[in-house]
Amino acid sequence: MIPSDTEELQALAGEYVLGTLEPEAAREVEAALGANAPLRAAVIFWEERLYPLSSLAAAAPPPAETWPNIEARLGTAPRAGVWRSLGFWRGATAAAAAIAACLALYIALAPAPTAPSFVAILRAPQQERAAWVATANRGGGMLIRAVATNSAPADRAFELWAIAPGASQPRSLGLIPPDGRLELGIIPAALREGGALAISIEPKGGSPTGQPTGPVVFTGELVRSN
Amino acid sequence: MEENVVALSSPRELIEAVQRGSRPALKRLYELESPRLYGIALRMLRRPDLAADTVQDVFVQIWQRAQSFSAERGNAEAWLTSIVRYRAIDQLRKRGRETLSDDPTLGDRAEEPDILERLDDRRLGASLKRCLDGLDENQRRCVVLAFVDGLSHSDIAARLPAPLGSVKSWVRRGLISLRSCLQA
Repeated sequence: MIPSDTEELQALAGEYVLGTLEPEAAREVEAALGANAPLRAAVIFWEERLYPLSSLAAAAPPPAETWPNIEARLGTAPRAGVWRSLGFWRGATAAAAAIAACLALYIALAPAPTAPSFVAILRAPQQERAAWVATANRGGGMLIRAVATNSAPADRAFELWAIAPGASQPRSLGLIPPDGRLELGIIPAALREGGALAISIEPKGGSPTGQPTGPVVFTGELVRSN
Repeated sequence: MEENVVALSSPRELIEAVQRGSRPALKRLYELESPRLYGIALRMLRRPDLAADTVQDVFVQIWQRAQSFSAERGNAEAWLTSIVRYRAIDQLRKRGRETLSDDPTLGDRAEEPDILERLDDRRLGASLKRCLDGLDENQRRCVVLAFVDGLSHSDIAARLPAPLGSVKSWVRRGLISLRSCLQA
């Protein structure tokens, strides 16, 4: 549980930044960061106020091969800045992909008439716990629902976005109701070939520009389940 | 038109150029910041190979996720430091410290409490130094050992040495006192 009491919240955020939380508690903080603005502010407070202590570690040049190794890895990595970084939300960890694969297998074994053809696990950046699960069914629709407690900040709403393979811009799939469940009768056909989903925080009525304007707080790739 | 990144001197400007997709800005950021970030990782991990891997991962992550540096953050260097520290902490917790202490030259030495006095206020920030000075010695040592050396509660308990329960309480009370001092 993430505490709402200010002192408790600050102490938790401080321990998260120090690195003294047990791994499970640290993952819980990471999972909550996307949607919990006071927690995010508390973590940033500690990161910025304690940062000068890092000067106690003596600077040293990294081994000469470090930069060439980085460049080699970037050769195949998505370029930043396409969709306010496609790479940012394609950066699924191996663990998240494994969870998606397991779930996809489970769904593939489920009775055929209701079997979805795609599944996506959405998570907050840098954490492995699933926050939302989206399943696309053969009828051309999709259901996304929260699998953890996720609520948008007051006076804000979660908006769901999709980016099809090769597309340069995301496309809105709609606002997610406060109960954390959105059912779509039809989704863009191109998404059946893969792609990714993301959730951003927007004004109550949705993004005024047709593109995400607030922070992207959850992302996940669509994985084939049959 | 490629930006003249040499003219961009601050990490913040360079990160903003990386957000626009500038590879030369990433390289310039590496040139400016990698010694500092490698030093932080080496101090925590105490193995050059793991520290170099961490720096690699971090710069790939900066390229892919530069968008997550947002206006909510005031300080680009603090953001970079956090990315390196979280990555190093993941490695430490995954591997356990025992497997990491195979190089005696990198030392497993305790952070002496008086080290803060050897740092000038400008580097440490006058308010952080004053507030750390205001903690009692055990609280201060716990905070520094955790932040700078990446030690867990039980690592600190073994290092001081002190009972685990005392260490947990010193960390927590140290943070609560620090916060009220830093916000004053």
